[in-house]
Amino acid sequence: MKLSEDHNIDREILLEAERLFYTYEGESTPALNGLSLTIKRGKKIACMGANGSGKSTFFLCCNGIYTPSSGSLYLSGRPVGRTKKDLLMLRRKVGIVFQDPDRQLFAASVRQEISFGPLNLGFSEEETRRRVDAVMEELGITAYAHKPVHALSGGQKKLVSIADILVMEPELIILDEPAAALDPFYTEMVHQITRRITERGITVMMATHDVNYAYEWADEIILFDEGRILRQGHPAGLFSDHALLKKTHLTPPMLLTVFHQLQSRNLIREKSPAPRNMEELKSRLTSPPDTQEQNGFPASPPDTQEQNSCLAQQEELSI
Amino acid sequence: MIIIDRLCYCSKLRYVNAGEKSAFTVLTLAACILSRSCAVALFVLAATGVLTVYKGGLPLFRYLKLMSMPAAFLLLGTAAIFINISKVPLGAFAFSAGSYYITGSFQGLRQGAELILTALAGISCLYFLSLSTPVTDILTVLKRLHVPALILELMLLIYRYIFVMLKLAEDITVSQHARLGNRNLAASRKSFAAMVSSIFILSIRRSGQLYDALESRCYNGTLRVLPEDHPAKASEVFCIAVFELFLYLAVIFLKLSGGMP
Repeated sequence: MKLSEDHNIDREILLEAERLFYTYEGESTPALNGLSLTIKRGKKIACMGANGSGKSTFFLCCNGIYTPSSGSLYLSGRPVGRTKKDLLMLRRKVGIVFQDPDRQLFAASVRQEISFGPLNLGFSEEETRRRVDAVMEELGITAYAHKPVHALSGGQKKLVSIADILVMEPELIILDEPAAALDPFYTEMVHQITRRITERGITVMMATHDVNYAYEWADEIILFDEGRILRQGHPAGLFSDHALLKKTHLTPPMLLTVFHQLQSRNLIREKSPAPRNMEELKSRLTSPPDTQEQNGFPASPPDTQEQNSCLAQQEELSI
Repeated sequence: MIIIDRLCYCSKLRYVNAGEKSAFTVLTLAACILSRSCAVALFVLAATGVLTVYKGGLPLFRYLKLMSMPAAFLLLGTAAIFINISKVPLGAFAFSAGSYYITGSFQGLRQGAELILTALAGISCLYFLSLSTPVTDILTVLKRLHVPALILELMLLIYRYIFVMLKLAEDITVSQHARLGNRNLAASRKSFAAMVSSIFILSIRRSGQLYDALESRCYNGTLRVLPEDHPAKASEVFCIAVFELFLYLAVIFLKLSGGMP
């Protein structure tokens, strides 16, 4: 009984960091200051925290690029050493999409760029070609397979840098601020791709400063602060903790603020959990007494009225 | 350089086997240099011109503009062969300037013309290759020829990073101009120096970051990527062979018959 339980826990936890310390050369304050956390398989995890709070350093440790001065890392329950074999295993299972594509993309053509990873993993040219083509098809970048990387736009470069990692089929994909410097079109595209990646069962860890997106998307939020984990938890609980948010200079997500305001004015059904998106919020509004209710939704004209009152509330809030 | 890179990706000959194109270029270039004759040079100029403009789909105007740049250099460079300053007028032309003549001989004129045409023909060969073949394809050919991997990797990285660094330089220049960094000569000289030194520092940092990114994708010392391969077509190989055969026969014939190159 005990044994099977242990086994279950091992299977569920993908990556575990235990008291990691890391200091950059020539710096006095450590970038990682005894950081411990566990990453569960199949979760969508948003990493938040100020610049310099240790997110990127931690990511590079997850991939074996930086060696922590002390502490240990476990992959699927097994400690990761510094042997070549261990590092190769770690890098095969954990992929990083860097924030700046120009930092990652080195090859002259898109297809060659994407082929780098699988060839390093030891796949034949035949198999590599098949995988590269499949990933390009999936991300809709086949049209510029033969284009030089420097001729692509910022958004296109981002998609290529995601393809770079996706083609290696890792178990954990780390996206370091994937929407940074992207226009709304490519931001939405990256979000869609992220959704599809998680649907495939790949664990995604994403650094982001967008509280609204993190709140809606993530299963779990990890708050970084000065090289440590300040809090790891469910978005609704974490973002309702105002003292915590103040400490990390984060603002609560708009949806949650609106929800709390509506709740305090008794416009929300009692005891309903915090909504994760606009649809859920709408379904939790109490219907005005004089309108008929259909399937839990107010009829359409009052619906707009409802929204208007919602907006009015929001405006009031912002004042 | 950037414009050539952009144009070669639009060439209609881009997907022709790079080996074929390289072989054509090298053989034709060698023929030009060996023969040193106006006739061969003119013939090669015409052939590569047709290939680049007509077959490759490059606008004629663009091509002429590209050719005019080296042509200007050649004219300046060969001026010394055309023009002599002498006390006696030579055969071809002579203008008197005091007790001296600015003059030229037929011999000098022909030599100069041969030199210019041969060099232009050679350049047109190289233009043909660079306006139809991306660097990646050329690297694939060089790999086939067993050029050491280290040199090829350096070429690849340098090629990629030329563009990254240029963009960086451009951004820094713009930001300097936005703060009146070029308001007078002294200021712009200073800004330029600052730009160069910061690019140097940034490029060192970039190389470190790139190494990290490569390592995170299991880099093990060799940059292996899929070769860009487009199969050779028998008909094209045949055409090139016939063309080169004819060209070399002409070169040999000229050498034997003329005595004069």
